[in-house]
Amino acid sequence: MKKGVLEMCILAIISREEVYASDIIERLKKENLIVVEGTLYPMLSRLKKAGHLDHFWLESQAGPPRKYYKLTPSGEEFLNQLTESWNTMVQSVSGLTSKKSKQ
Amino acid sequence: MKKVVNVNLGGRPFTIDEDAFEKLSAYLKLLQVHFKQMEGSEEILADIESRLGELFTEYLETRQIVTMTEVKRAIEVMGTPEDLGAEEEWEQINSNSSGEDVFEKRKKTKTRYTTGKRLYRDRENRIISGTCSGLAAYFGISDPVWVRIAFVLFALGSAGTVILVYIIIWAITPEAKTAKDRLMMHGERIDVDAISKKVKEEFNEMEKQFNEFSESFKKKR
Repeated sequence: MKKGVLEMCILAIISREEVYASDIIERLKKENLIVVEGTLYPMLSRLKKAGHLDHFWLESQAGPPRKYYKLTPSGEEFLNQLTESWNTMVQSVSGLTSKKSKQ
Repeated sequence: MKKVVNVNLGGRPFTIDEDAFEKLSAYLKLLQVHFKQMEGSEEILADIESRLGELFTEYLETRQIVTMTEVKRAIEVMGTPEDLGAEEEWEQINSNSSGEDVFEKRKKTKTRYTTGKRLYRDRENRIISGTCSGLAAYFGISDPVWVRIAFVLFALGSAGTVILVYIIIWAITPEAKTAKDRLMMHGERIDVDAISKKVKEEFNEMEKQFNEFSESFKKKR
């Protein structure tokens, strides 16, 4: 389930602006959401295969061209659905746990 | 003095110490095995390579040569296949985007990641060619003698055709040469730990034999 959340975060990061892999890693690391970087690449590949992501190459000032990612319409829809189910889950979990602490 | 190797990592040229190069290529090989079952594995590896290149550029600053230190550091950041395996649940994602019960679906589609078991000839436990002991390892039979008995019985019953089958299996099955082969023969998981364990076992065995040898030598004197 943690991976579903991670996928949601990746999509959310990409939805804000077009980014390349290292930007995503930086964000996820800042929030302690990712332990080893290698986890990200299979996820990006899977999301792309599912048609939620698209990539394009951009020249960079230093080094070789970078692969940038952006959301496709289906990706945006997927992100909305994920966010929705996430919110419902947070609500039910916090509802449950707060009731418990009151007893 | 050390030899260096020139490599191209994701479009960036690097000069790398020979020992560091060996470590790095062993690591990339392991990743290749790890991602083999996934679609788009080539792209994943290419992405990882170019990220490694980026990391090296970052670590080197003004230095010229990638050493063991940089390689170890980058591997730690990127994660060994075991780290990746622990963090990931290997699952097949449905290609459709109906996300209503996506969390539920995820729990159900969890599949375990196993490395492909392969048939090898086990020369270490061989009588003729190691074919029977290889088959025993493949099917998880603890004592290859049962496979041998079965072969002999069938050979007697089939007027020689089974002997031909034996020779064909012998011819088309590779010999388990490396520690990795031996692990795959038994269908064990291949990761850095498992391989170093196997190598250690082999080394201990050698040491034992050497000790026995020197003991007997001393006794003789």
